[in-house]
Amino acid sequence: MRRSLLSCLSLRPVSALAALSLTFTLTPSVACATEGSLISRLEPRKVAHAPASATLVPLSENWRMDGDIPVHALLISLQGLANRDQPRLYLEYPTHWQWEIVRPLETFLEKRHGIKWERIEPAGADSSAAGLAKADAALARFAKFAKGVVVWDQAVRSSLIVAFTIAGVEDLVIVTGDQLPLAAKHGLRPVVDLRGKFTGQTDAQIYQWAYDHYFERCSRDYYVVLGGHAGPEMQPGIADFGIRQRAFFTDLSANPKHPDELALLNKILGRQNVPSIVLGWHSYAKDTEGQHTTLVGNHGLIMEGLHNLPNVSFTSQIPLTPDFKFANNHTVKPGAPARQAEPKVYIAAVATDAMGIGTWTKPGRGQIPYTWQVLMNWAWMNPPALQYFYEDKSPNDYFIGGLSGPGYMYPKAIPADKWPALTAVGRDLMQRLDLRVLEIMDYSEGNRHVGNTDLPKEVVDRYYDQYPDATGFINGYGSARTFDLRAGRPLLSYDYYLSIERPVEEAAADLEELIQLNPQRPYFLLMHVRESNTVEKVADILGRLSEAVEVVPLDVFLQLAAGSPTYRTHYQQPTDAIDRNP
Amino acid sequence: MTRIRRLLLPLLLLLPLAACAATSPFEGRWRLDKARSTALDGWHEWDLVIAVTGSRVSLRHDMKWIRTNFSATNTVDTAAPVEIPAFFRVEQRHMALYPAKGGLTTARASWLDAGRTLRVEADTPIEISQGQANMRLYYEYRLVEGDQALVLLELHSTRPQPLVYRFTRVL
Repeated sequence: MRRSLLSCLSLRPVSALAALSLTFTLTPSVACATEGSLISRLEPRKVAHAPASATLVPLSENWRMDGDIPVHALLISLQGLANRDQPRLYLEYPTHWQWEIVRPLETFLEKRHGIKWERIEPAGADSSAAGLAKADAALARFAKFAKGVVVWDQAVRSSLIVAFTIAGVEDLVIVTGDQLPLAAKHGLRPVVDLRGKFTGQTDAQIYQWAYDHYFERCSRDYYVVLGGHAGPEMQPGIADFGIRQRAFFTDLSANPKHPDELALLNKILGRQNVPSIVLGWHSYAKDTEGQHTTLVGNHGLIMEGLHNLPNVSFTSQIPLTPDFKFANNHTVKPGAPARQAEPKVYIAAVATDAMGIGTWTKPGRGQIPYTWQVLMNWAWMNPPALQYFYEDKSPNDYFIGGLSGPGYMYPKAIPADKWPALTAVGRDLMQRLDLRVLEIMDYSEGNRHVGNTDLPKEVVDRYYDQYPDATGFINGYGSARTFDLRAGRPLLSYDYYLSIERPVEEAAADLEELIQLNPQRPYFLLMHVRESNTVEKVADILGRLSEAVEVVPLDVFLQLAAGSPTYRTHYQQPTDAIDRNP
Repeated sequence: MTRIRRLLLPLLLLLPLAACAATSPFEGRWRLDKARSTALDGWHEWDLVIAVTGSRVSLRHDMKWIRTNFSATNTVDTAAPVEIPAFFRVEQRHMALYPAKGGLTTARASWLDAGRTLRVEADTPIEISQGQANMRLYYEYRLVEGDQALVLLELHSTRPQPLVYRFTRVL
């Protein structure tokens, strides 16, 4: 099946891309293309090398709608436009921003890519004065990339999300009414004015208006769900990239409790190319992560889930340095004699989502063997960030692919006919990034608390069949019970989930209890570490265990588990509880 | 033994039971005091709802995590052991220790300290990644602070330290 789909595009690359472009312009459909051409369709054009200099503007810690959001929205929209054909403007997000790599990446880009930063940091007595001075200075440099402004309505939060769509489509900077004189100073006049337009309307009505007026001119490869923080706060870090890509923005709900919003969201997702990218994150105020990611998967789309991932309009255009190659820390060497397990407890610790929003820069990294799940699409969407992580890794850091494929997806939610196009991209990215293990997570029928997070046999079959080069798979987020072993390639689920709040002594007691209850040796205890736990904390917990355990790299763990399967083969059963993440 | 003694003895033995049968001070909704309890893993809130009907004691656990609500009840009997399917343990979701499918938990309950402590002992079959195991559980529900607080002590045969939860009565 995979071969027949791939062989249908044996055209020369240029004509293949042209054909794809035509297909997607006229009718969205399941892409029938090689891995490379699919990524080429999605990938922003790269410049030959990083710019010699670029402008850097620091942003404040205040992301309240009634605080500094107006000036931040102005700067982010300006960034999306200024960076459309070249990386020119980098925003220095505040120290406590969830994505913690802003500053390390800034240093990395300077040292490794040779970018000289031209910092705009006007002094100001208060944040609003300083913010306006920054906006003034940034507009002086980059207003020429805009055709005017779109004015959002500060009384209607969703009007700002609509303004992000309009900014990308019409090449407009986003301003409030108060900022119109500043825009005028730089020759920018109002083109669209949303003030008063949506008063009293529901989000479904507001986004329907945006759909009717702008959707046809938006990208079919990018859609942005600008959710996450809701109500009085907004963190639209991804919006510069969405504007650059002319994406359609909403924070529509996937919750059946909001049928009007859900219907419109289904219509939007149904019109996107398959596969294509959904940027951002679900609204914390409307639906659940499980509901939204399930819906994205139903449409065969790829979730890149971080609404406050910053500066991608800048970094997406910068190629890897010519001397760099993605190289992982494999301990298991192909062809070498397999290590055999001893009668003892083996532990492997895995952090998901942790490269960027976790503890990469926090104490302890390198202290023990540790596994990090890589967001594989960054290979083409954010290359300098991945180069930074790969070059910064310690000998004890091991990388795996995820989550469930290229991007964040739930395998049970994806229709079988949409798998081949997605797994083709996944295989390609694993090869590019030197990854041999794939992590799977599925919250379409449950979460850490209710329902189940297991995989039925037919889904496990698909992974073994469609990822033939993977040396193993791991499953879960919380604990799960799906286990398999085929031709020396194990699929193991997590036996333990270390939550952020779990005290060290209780976590050690938890592990002691698991070790007590699983009497056979070797016992393979796969541990998932929630991203905000430091490696230092994990090492402390493991150091308290009374029975001798060996903490090993994940590839070694899987090799040992393949040789001594003390776990039982198990799949999701028809009688398992199902909960659709209400 | 005199005739009066013969009459009094059964009455005295039944007193704790009678005390509970009327309106047991255990009855009602109790809310976990997180600050004074062993760290709760995986749940943000835990209400314990206790109902006493004759010798049967219903222990309902209303759990909450953000918008996810879950409720499970273990009903024990102080007059005789009971067998409970899918016996609920609070900590079971972050550790791969699941109630064995189709498994029955044998639970024994009794009143202690003149009806001010409920003791529950349970032998529960657990599904583990290596197959199946058994866990022996010991609980004491103790009334304290003028019956406005409830302390739950929980011991596992497989855990090196006790779990101590403190609840306050929800009025």
